[in-house]
Amino acid sequence: MSAAKEESETAEPGSKAELDRAFEELYRSHLRDVYSYAFYRVGNHHDAEDLTEQAFLQAYRHFERARRESNGRPLRPWLIRIAHNLASNYHRDRARRPEAALEAVEPPSHPHGTEQIVEGREELRLVMDRIQRLSDDRREALIMRFALGMSNREIARALGRTDGATKVLIHRAIKQLEEEMSGT
Amino acid sequence: MSEETGELHLEALLGDALRPIEPPEDLAGRVESTLTAITEQAAAELSSWAEGLSEGELQALRDPRNWVRPVAAVAVGTVAGGALVLVGMRRRRRPAGLRATAENVLKLR
Repeated sequence: MSAAKEESETAEPGSKAELDRAFEELYRSHLRDVYSYAFYRVGNHHDAEDLTEQAFLQAYRHFERARRESNGRPLRPWLIRIAHNLASNYHRDRARRPEAALEAVEPPSHPHGTEQIVEGREELRLVMDRIQRLSDDRREALIMRFALGMSNREIARALGRTDGATKVLIHRAIKQLEEEMSGT
Repeated sequence: MSEETGELHLEALLGDALRPIEPPEDLAGRVESTLTAITEQAAAELSSWAEGLSEGELQALRDPRNWVRPVAAVAVGTVAGGALVLVGMRRRRRPAGLRATAENVLKLR
């Protein structure tokens, strides 16, 4: 058991110390999620760091209430929703689209022949390019699903949609990508 | 390729394209110290204000109508903390662009 967890269990429930420990656990568990999401939304390392920092500061300010209202449900969708709103503000303020982050991702290397590697890289570059062309909500849903491994229900909560609408959104995003990929 | 196989292949490609990105090692520490600074600043504001209170003023604080000042102190602490964060961010900010992005991604992977 971690020291933070031990302290959290000994602190009086609802006390400032217990709240801080719980928040510490939350941010340690989800720092990578928030950072990954921020990176894919803003497209560069520096702004992703700033956005991650701001997201956790906002989360800290509203943590007590969020925890009370979550009724024990995981807080990851709430955190990602904060990052989502901050990323929207970022794009609105700067009136620009994500900066080629998806194109810049270096395709992984595979233990195959040169021809297969080249083919694989081309395919990956193509899918990244097509992801960029998706509408914002479809692209965000795919980032949450594939980069963060979120379930439909979690994505629905983060985007403020119903489970059904989210399932349709993801299905359509994949379908659109498939059609565009097969048309090239 | 059947429709189902095509979908599975695309999902595998998406999994490869949208891999999780590890945050820089110093980010966790920086978030922690910023949070600590903010809470300490707010606590200091409250404590210095409370030290100057007389017994009568402490009694008066039981009335919620007199809670404006401590709430304002917390708000001031929070805003000051936020300002520190912004200053820190601006200091750290460096020009970003496609080249920087590519370099960062390569560094992270």
